[in-house]
Amino acid sequence: MGTENTSSANTPPRPVATPFAAPQSTPFSSSRPVAGPVASAFRPTPALAPQTTMPLSSSGPVVGSEASGYRPTPPGRYSGPSVPPPPSLYGPPTGGPFQRFPTPQFPSTTQAPPRTLPVGQPVLPSHSAGQVSSMAASISPPPQIPSVPMGFPPQSISGVPSSVNAPPSSIESSFFSSRPNLQPSSPPMVPSYPAARGTFQPALPGYPGRQPNTESASFLAHQGGYEPPRAVSAPFVSHPGGYVPPPPLGAPQGFYPRGQMQPPGSAPPTGAVQGLIEDFSSLSFGSVPGSFDPGLDSKALPRPLEGDVEPSSFAEMYPMNCNARFLRLTTSAIPSSQSLVSRWHLPLGAVVCPLAEAPVGEEVPVVNFGTTGIIRCRRCRTYVNPYVTFTDGGRKWRCNICALLNDVSGDYFAHLDASGRRIDLDQRPELIKGSVEFIAPAEYMVRPPMPPVYFFLIDVSISAVRSGMLESSLTQPQMMVVSDLDDIFIPLPDDLLVNLSESRTVVDAFLESLPTMFQDNVNVESAFGPALKAAFMIVSQLGGKLLIFQNTLPSLGVGRLRLRGDDIRVYGTDKEHVLRIPEDPFYKQMAADFTKYQIAVNVYAFSDKYTDIASLGTLAKYTGGQVYYYPSFHSAIQKEKLRHELTRDLTRETAWEAVMRVRCGKGVRFTSYHGNFMLRSTDLLALPAVDCDKAYAMQLCLEDTLLTTQTVYFQVALLYPLIHGKSHLFERYTSSSGERRIRVHTAAAPVVTELGEMYRQADTGAIVSLFSRLAIEKSLSYKLEEARNSVQQRIVKALREYRNLYAVQHRVGSRMIFPESLRFFILYGLALCKSAPIRGGYADVQLDERCAAGYTMMALPVKRLLKLLYPNLMRIDECLLQTSLQADEFENVCKRLPLTAESLDSRGLYIYDDGFRFVIWFGRMLSPDIAKNLLGEDFATDYSRVTLSERDNDMSRKLMRILKKLRETDQSYYQLSHLVRQGEQPREGFFLLSNLVEDQTGGVNGYLEWILQIHRQIQQNA
Amino acid sequence: MAWEPILWVIFLVMTMVLVASNMYQLVCLSDLEADYMNPYETSSRVNAVIVPEMVLHGVFCFVLLVTGHWIMFLITLPIACYNMMLFMKRKHLIDVTEVFRSLNAEKKNRIAKLGFYVLLFALVIIRLVLSVMNHIIDEDDAVHESAMF
Repeated sequence: MGTENTSSANTPPRPVATPFAAPQSTPFSSSRPVAGPVASAFRPTPALAPQTTMPLSSSGPVVGSEASGYRPTPPGRYSGPSVPPPPSLYGPPTGGPFQRFPTPQFPSTTQAPPRTLPVGQPVLPSHSAGQVSSMAASISPPPQIPSVPMGFPPQSISGVPSSVNAPPSSIESSFFSSRPNLQPSSPPMVPSYPAARGTFQPALPGYPGRQPNTESASFLAHQGGYEPPRAVSAPFVSHPGGYVPPPPLGAPQGFYPRGQMQPPGSAPPTGAVQGLIEDFSSLSFGSVPGSFDPGLDSKALPRPLEGDVEPSSFAEMYPMNCNARFLRLTTSAIPSSQSLVSRWHLPLGAVVCPLAEAPVGEEVPVVNFGTTGIIRCRRCRTYVNPYVTFTDGGRKWRCNICALLNDVSGDYFAHLDASGRRIDLDQRPELIKGSVEFIAPAEYMVRPPMPPVYFFLIDVSISAVRSGMLESSLTQPQMMVVSDLDDIFIPLPDDLLVNLSESRTVVDAFLESLPTMFQDNVNVESAFGPALKAAFMIVSQLGGKLLIFQNTLPSLGVGRLRLRGDDIRVYGTDKEHVLRIPEDPFYKQMAADFTKYQIAVNVYAFSDKYTDIASLGTLAKYTGGQVYYYPSFHSAIQKEKLRHELTRDLTRETAWEAVMRVRCGKGVRFTSYHGNFMLRSTDLLALPAVDCDKAYAMQLCLEDTLLTTQTVYFQVALLYPLIHGKSHLFERYTSSSGERRIRVHTAAAPVVTELGEMYRQADTGAIVSLFSRLAIEKSLSYKLEEARNSVQQRIVKALREYRNLYAVQHRVGSRMIFPESLRFFILYGLALCKSAPIRGGYADVQLDERCAAGYTMMALPVKRLLKLLYPNLMRIDECLLQTSLQADEFENVCKRLPLTAESLDSRGLYIYDDGFRFVIWFGRMLSPDIAKNLLGEDFATDYSRVTLSERDNDMSRKLMRILKKLRETDQSYYQLSHLVRQGEQPREGFFLLSNLVEDQTGGVNGYLEWILQIHRQIQQNA
Repeated sequence: MAWEPILWVIFLVMTMVLVASNMYQLVCLSDLEADYMNPYETSSRVNAVIVPEMVLHGVFCFVLLVTGHWIMFLITLPIACYNMMLFMKRKHLIDVTEVFRSLNAEKKNRIAKLGFYVLLFALVIIRLVLSVMNHIIDEDDAVHESAMF
């Protein structure tokens, strides 16, 4: 908004405003022309009353902020020649408020002026004009108006105590009070809203992502779409419509580059979002001194409702870089000096997902060098990549990482053309693509590829039998993909491993007999440790995957564990973290041994009682495995989930016995690695099994105080024997079918000397991913509270540094500023502090659940992590009711809502999707038809006992299709649907309310408070 | 008999063993860092000598106390306490899964200890020489005395 203001050009059109302004009271005029008129006009009319208030409070601000942007201009900078008329009108009344107000905004605008002006300015005037005229026609300003001054909200926002302070508060109050009324009325409006939306959107695309532009753009659209055709009232309606559905509105704010919701509705934002200038985004706080009113509308805060957006500038700059799905740097601008690094406060590093699933058509090309051998640098062993340069007529190539000149072998020789490019470039994917796979000769492997071995270690103690865990594994014939299976009670290793295709029947028979075999088992003990050792002895010859199904606490033999974590007193003391690390060194030692022999361990834990996931999970952590946790497993309910996840575990593309190394250019070095793997040497990650669902994070540092190069290159190399996906499960395996592959991802990043550039190129997703891993690791050696504090402190430090960078030159005043690239970062920080691994204390999350979530988050790729931190919340009842709508289109219709209880309308049906489960929330006043259609006769009973299944009606089928579609977008886990009815405690609290990260829950900050708190801390020691 | 010099010779041997053990561990860790050794081997080698070293140091300390060498005892006491503390917390062994993360700390730790033991070694040698000298002088005196009377 700030930008708009800046444009001096804008002011001229102003005249338009004058007409309307004149009649009105001075305060009014001072406030923004646009919003003001509208609000004032309507107020009087009784029928409209509710709506009007809305615009006022909510829309008013929005508009207001923009308007405010202008306003200042006349008096302040441009006053003179350019804007003759306005000054007279505005000047006098506004004078006081202006000056303060404007100042903050200007600075920002100053830089951008040229761009924004053209867009914003013309738009507004016309807009206001339209409205004005309408106003004039319809209504004369009621007496109340003067007090109303739309202008206020902005003022409060700006944080300047203006003479007019009092009013704002009243406005706010009125706003809130009126809100309730509005909601009911809102429904009718809704329809119009979407429609309006549609019209907007086309207009928007044209505008660049910048906020300033977008806003202005939205305005334009607005005008274009609405004004002309409609009567006065029409525009209004549309406006309110925007608001009405609180959910959609929230989204918009000026922040969203697309500006979907922006228009009218977004108003609420109240100016919150201001100057976006080129350099940064900012939030202003109101500052009525002494009052608690933050002066910042929570709806204006930036929210990642678009999901994760990968930074694109990086890819554009270096088109030959590998795709961001494989490698993401926390900032694509590498600092040139140690001092820059120390001022960057955020983690500097990368998140690598070497086997990320590539969409069809973008598969990684395979290169076979045949007898030539793989081309690598003699000294640093870098693989040939698009950034190497050929010289000397094509006879030599210079390594981009260590700058050594290498000879080009005869077979690989090709002449260079005039521009120095090889003439055969087109046929050499390794020289044009950032990601390639080399087929490696035998010397790259320690041993020939081994057949994939799956070893199941199943807990058959009584609780396992009771829960139906055994049955569930039985009911899945296709799951018998077990290539090797064995019973640990038989002590003859040689005979224990069987080939699946040869002895499929035996395996089937065994699995069938499994439940009956142990049905009379009343043994409550679990000899997990000894079983683990036995399994290790059997599988160690071949390596493979060990799947552990554990249902009770290991209680016999070596590695037995105690019941711990029940003692509340430990929490909050220095010994608290001990609960989150393995109790017995046996597990770490076993994990190390497993890795040594290339065995990956996946832990499936089922118990609702304490099973010490902290200890069991260690096995997965150091072997590149995964922890699946099904609290209080019952086969009837969770069968599907287990089946899906087990199937995926067994059938997804997996690289066995892989090792991964990340090389980087001279001067930088990776110092620490975070994720599920074990380091075999300082920079070599041993990954007994790696697949597309695993990502690894690493931090880097500068080796010298100064980097002299212009560009830093990174190269991820993953060496693994390829065993074709599913085929190996059903065909007889022969060693010849195993092929050794080296997957290489190369990326380049520029070296910069400015801190501002680093912030500009920051990648929120990667930072959050690295951040959460660091926080989880911290929670293993410190109290949870300290882990959370460290997250907060780092956010504060980073933003303070950023503020210092711009505070002087832009006179940011009391606004909070942050880089555009990190606009969601603060929210993710909050979400992280509220995520299961580090939230709350003893009672908030069960110890096992906490540990399981921690292990899971340590391995999640960026996108899934972000989704887990800030899940999708969508309202679907409207979608279900629209019969014409197909499930396929539903994603276009249902927008993500902010994660706050305010988004939930008691007449709606919502889906909450965090990638691991669905929570379907039934509003209390949801029409019984919907509930009945979806749940059949059970709709009135206790939802904890109802399962969602397809019923014989369209609505139910549609819902199931929607769910299916959602699941298809994220297949690494199966999202089980949990049904929750509004007000049904404690289920509602457990499943949904405690996960609405923006709300204040249990004494923990809500989004708004969090921002304010951070803002305060930033200013404290600024 | 010349108990005192013999005792010091024993101390000297003990100190040498301690120095050697520390050097060995240091070499192992450096090898690991330089990728000459894998973490499994390193940790098993280093862990194998840690407990004996601690025990040896404890014995050393105890014997000093029993034989009344107060100053030397006080000098060696801090490390004995430190070892004890590590042992009680079960942090004395190297964690094979996280070797690389603690590598630098472990190395510094051992360099410091090595320095200490070298110093101790010097002290012990000095004391040994002194005690031998004293012993010889005493014997001489004794001889003289016996000769005189």
